[in-house]
Amino acid sequence: MAPTQVRNRIRELRFHQNEMTQQELADRIGVTRQTVNAIEAGKYSPSLEVAFRIARIFGVPLEDAFQYGADADAVSGLL
Amino acid sequence: MSSSYAEKSVWVQFFGLIAILGSYFLVAGMMISGGVTSLITFVPLFIVSTIALVIILAGGQIIMAIVGRSEAPDERYRLISWRAHSNSSWVLAAATSGGITGLVFSFEPVWIAHLLLLSMFLSELAKLAFQIFYYRTGV
Repeated sequence: MAPTQVRNRIRELRFHQNEMTQQELADRIGVTRQTVNAIEAGKYSPSLEVAFRIARIFGVPLEDAFQYGADADAVSGLL
Repeated sequence: MSSSYAEKSVWVQFFGLIAILGSYFLVAGMMISGGVTSLITFVPLFIVSTIALVIILAGGQIIMAIVGRSEAPDERYRLISWRAHSNSSWVLAAATSGGITGLVFSFEPVWIAHLLLLSMFLSELAKLAFQIFYYRTGV
């Protein structure tokens, strides 16, 4: 199974939120911990709704939490 | 990565199906090869197998709910279920075509019935195997 083209900074964003656990994030966005783990590992692209919920919890714009394909390299180069 | 409640549930169903329906087809196969062709003869075996399957699957779910943390299915679970179901449906379709072909050539009803039953079994097994695959590798 090819990894998804959608990349994310959830791990880093969790770290900046006092090391929020995957379980805490999962409970707040209404998915299982394994789904959060799969999103972080690039094994699953969340729905737009879940992506927005994640961004809102971290207080960042959607494109700050998620990047697509080549855009991801450009964003990580800026950080 | 530890497995989720949903994935464990799939594993329980997978092994439960193999154990019970595998046993059914083993016994039924021996009966057919022994010359039994009356479908009604297989009914008690089928009823016992169905009851055993229900007990094992329900028992497995109850034990998992007691031991682990039960979780509501989320969007990833639903996507995996849909994909697995879609990928495994061809098994049932192929066997249904085989059953119709069997009817055209006037095969014994016992063969056609077991072909259709086997296809349901294999289709369900394929679905569960695809689910496990997607849980492990991503979707």
